[in-house]
Amino acid sequence: MNGWLVAATVLLAAGFGPVVWGVATGPLERRVVAQNFGTSVVCLVMLLLSQAYVRPSYVDLALVLAVLGPAGTLVYARLLADDLGDDPPHANLLTVVAASAATVIVVAMCVATGPGRATVKLVLIGVLLVAGNVIASRALAGGFPGAGASTRD
Amino acid sequence: MTDALTLVSLLLVAASATAAVAVRDPARQALVLAVLGLALAVLFTVVQAPDVGLSQLAVGSALTPLLILLSVRKVRRRGQHEGGDR
Repeated sequence: MNGWLVAATVLLAAGFGPVVWGVATGPLERRVVAQNFGTSVVCLVMLLLSQAYVRPSYVDLALVLAVLGPAGTLVYARLLADDLGDDPPHANLLTVVAASAATVIVVAMCVATGPGRATVKLVLIGVLLVAGNVIASRALAGGFPGAGASTRD
Repeated sequence: MTDALTLVSLLLVAASATAAVAVRDPARQALVLAVLGLALAVLFTVVQAPDVGLSQLAVGSALTPLLILLSVRKVRRRGQHEGGDR
């Protein structure tokens, strides 16, 4: 019985299940927000799994996802700008939830690993995750005016 | 506990794959496909194949949606253009 494994299972079931439901149904705005939240959840699950299996190299998966997840969301924000323009999605609550969950999990893993290069990597992933989440949700909410519409015609 | 984790990730893959088939609009399908890629990456990691999961993440989270959305945009534009000519 491994506490990290239990945490990963619970996070996967409670966090990613609603994401699948949210991305499969409802209006386009909700689907984009759900996909963005899903990348954060899976990144945290990867972090917990690397701790659960005692394989520090699995952290690379979380690092790749922390970089590529917001990039994918920016692709949607750019290419779906016409469809999202009428009623841009605001997901401040979800962003706060994802950022605080990332902070809690990264701090817990840093305490578990102890000081060293692995801790620096974990902190880097945490910073990338929180910053990427904030930037992506701001871009979805139309926070960068002109980025979507100016080059379309 | 490992079995429970495998079961949960298998169920999530099945659910998101069914949703990817059921959704009809290509732009929305790209979103569901991205989530399916995430679920597959978790499944690969759970069955101890993180290298496959890594490539799945790299392709599935940014590249596939980009290709689909660019194709949709091009097809739509061409349709509007021909509609304007007639």
